[in-house]
Amino acid sequence: MNQVGAVGLIAALVFAIYGMITGALAGKFRSPRMLKSAQRAVLGFFAMTTLAVVSLEYLILTNDFHSAYVASHSSRALPLLYKFPVLWSGQEGSLLFWTWLLSIYVSIAVLLNRRKNRQLMPYVIAIAMGVGTFFSLITFWVANPFNQLSLVTASGISPYTPPDGNGLNPSLQFHSMVIHPPMLYLGYVGMAIPFAFAMSALMTRQLGDNWIRVTRRWTMVPWMFLGTGIVLGGLWAYHVLGWGGYWAWDPVENASLLPWLAGTAFLHSVMIQEKRGMMKVWNMVLIILTFFLSIFGTFLTRSGIISSVHAFAQSDIGPWFSVFLAIIAAFSLTVLFLRLDFLKTENRLDSVVSRESGFLFNNWILLAAVLAVLWGTIFPVISKAIENETVTVGPPFFNKVMIPIGLLLLFLTGAGPLLAWRKTSFQSIKRNFTMPLAVAGVAGAIIFFAGVHLLYTWMSLFLCAFVAASIIGEFYKGARTRMKTSKENFFSALYNLTMRNTRRYGGYIVHFGIVLIFVGIAGQAFRFETQGLMGPGDLLRAKDYLFRCESITSGQKANYTYETTALDVTQNGHALTVMYPQKRFFLAEQQPLSHIALRSNLARDLYVVMEGRDPDSGKAIIHVIINPLVQWVWIGGLIVLLGTILALVPSRIERQMAELHKTQAEAVEARHAG
Amino acid sequence: MRVSRLLKTLFLSLALVNVAMAARTPEQIAQDIGNKVYCLCGCVTSLNTCPMLHCEVKAEMHKIIDTDLAAGKTEPAILQDLVDRYGEKVLAAPPAHGFNLAAWILPGVGLLIGLFLAITIVRRWRRPALQAAVPAGSVGSGSASAAASAADDKLRAAVEEEMKKFID
Repeated sequence: MNQVGAVGLIAALVFAIYGMITGALAGKFRSPRMLKSAQRAVLGFFAMTTLAVVSLEYLILTNDFHSAYVASHSSRALPLLYKFPVLWSGQEGSLLFWTWLLSIYVSIAVLLNRRKNRQLMPYVIAIAMGVGTFFSLITFWVANPFNQLSLVTASGISPYTPPDGNGLNPSLQFHSMVIHPPMLYLGYVGMAIPFAFAMSALMTRQLGDNWIRVTRRWTMVPWMFLGTGIVLGGLWAYHVLGWGGYWAWDPVENASLLPWLAGTAFLHSVMIQEKRGMMKVWNMVLIILTFFLSIFGTFLTRSGIISSVHAFAQSDIGPWFSVFLAIIAAFSLTVLFLRLDFLKTENRLDSVVSRESGFLFNNWILLAAVLAVLWGTIFPVISKAIENETVTVGPPFFNKVMIPIGLLLLFLTGAGPLLAWRKTSFQSIKRNFTMPLAVAGVAGAIIFFAGVHLLYTWMSLFLCAFVAASIIGEFYKGARTRMKTSKENFFSALYNLTMRNTRRYGGYIVHFGIVLIFVGIAGQAFRFETQGLMGPGDLLRAKDYLFRCESITSGQKANYTYETTALDVTQNGHALTVMYPQKRFFLAEQQPLSHIALRSNLARDLYVVMEGRDPDSGKAIIHVIINPLVQWVWIGGLIVLLGTILALVPSRIERQMAELHKTQAEAVEARHAG
Repeated sequence: MRVSRLLKTLFLSLALVNVAMAARTPEQIAQDIGNKVYCLCGCVTSLNTCPMLHCEVKAEMHKIIDTDLAAGKTEPAILQDLVDRYGEKVLAAPPAHGFNLAAWILPGVGLLIGLFLAITIVRRWRRPALQAAVPAGSVGSGSASAAASAADDKLRAAVEEEMKKFID
């Protein structure tokens, strides 16, 4: 199977190069035959990368330790569920996985556009396959997952198969890890498609409404995956790393946040272009930046230039990625510069107080966030290069810089939708802002008298109330208007209102999800933690909770040994539950891992970690964290996902517009044929 | 005026309460210090979140903090003690002096430059609209703008025509 996989890789590289060249030639000479050939090359690229992925999975599932990759990242005792993530747990496998996902995306783009966007598609294929060529090349040349182990002896080189593999990193043996990396990768990789459409639109001078409509949808899909991947990564960190948090401003976490922030800016500013024909150059810059940051994120995750708790796969691919990033920047900015004349603003701003200005300032804040996160992430490298000094840029820096930016962004999330397009009169501001501000004022007073006196926390919750009130107000006002005009009941009106403009109301639901995430984050200000040594019969108090150690037991599973502390928990004297924090020691990997005990409700999480055993007394080291409002982060993440899915559903207005465009296209085609 | 006075009172109260809340127990101070320094065992996490079993570096750093707290040292003094022993890399955020100052300044400078650019763009977007309001035939940039707009229309029409040719 090693040979089959290796052949698949070479064939994929050949198809990628062929697709890139024929795609470019099809664009240059407007040749339908060449376009057809390029489309077939894309499908060939998909088939061959699929062959390589299936081959590697086969080697993993059959414990073929003659394969260097399988021997390094899997073991016989590894449960079946965790054999699938082995594919992306190492450098070579993850790059193959990247290439495979790209082949899926490009194939879908080709299949969906067989009869559409025929001017754009040749260069879309050429650019996407150019990206595919780079990844196929480094997967084949630099980080080949099909290398085999061999033994060098006096008599020569002979094949070598170890009896067992090194196993999978224990912290990756967790259920959300099975879907978290694929989600992130779908986000990173998917940004190649809107980038390809944008570049193609520039190269073909097809800079009307069409490319922006196509690109927006192709951006929203990877943006959704990236956001979901980020939340799942937080969920993984919360359950696995054992420190009771979900976001530590680690470089790899930041790397995933950067393209998400830039993509968010694009998804907002693109609306100005669609509605008013403004910010055309800026939207191109944002698409380029989003794709650039996606590759930069992959580079950070995989190159190991910055120390990270998440960098599970590192090697010397850094220079390759540096060159590729330079090519992306040089190519895209040159094309953009050559087409600046075609990106002139069509309209002028009627008023400073308008939705357009709101979006502009939203972009300002989002880009400031990108700059701050990027700067903080790469500063240790810059400091080392210039001052030869090792510095750490961790949570205290990011919290200080990002909290004010986050609060400003939260305010704009609420204020933006309350501003009208073109011009907002003073009367309109008064009418739209009064209710949300009144609700936020009341909520702010209640929160203050309930004991929330930390300024940032109070401001965050105050703004959450403001944004939530403005969103609910938008739904309510829209439904009331429909009730009057269509004689529908409130719920029918709400449903029809949402389905008539899924993008707008899906967007509001996304905003509501973000509000809930902010509520969850604000809860961290009231986190409480304590630690103690506990043997049978020992007590530990944490606020209202009293923990009594019942027993400490040990045992062995297929791939790890464990020690479990049974803790009887009471709250204000009432029996609550028994919790079982566990310390595991993975045999193949020779690594320990804490398996937390968690009791959650919407108000707080009771998070208990067994850190290990005290070497002197033999007692368990028990760490208890009371984490308020954490569940709202996960609920908010889910709502963001649902809102994005809703926004992706074509609305009635969009379907009508699509029909109109189809009719227009047919008319032009008929005239051309005539 | 009444609203402004109310807001001032509210923020003053919040600031006073913040100061009052600043009184912390030694455990809380140790906890806060643990979030402000990194464990240097190679785990790449803060002292409070080091996941290593029986981590000797973590134990040593905790011992220093506990000893300093028992000696009545303040948080800045304890942090300085840790810096003296391990170097500035122990801090989870770069100290605001020398080259490290750039880490703190740049995000703020970026924010201000962005604000300046956003305001400039808004002004530029606004200006031609005002100039277009100048009566036709008047001398100045208003007529130049109208001429440019006509040229743009001509160009756009030519592009539309070209695009139609390429539609299959």
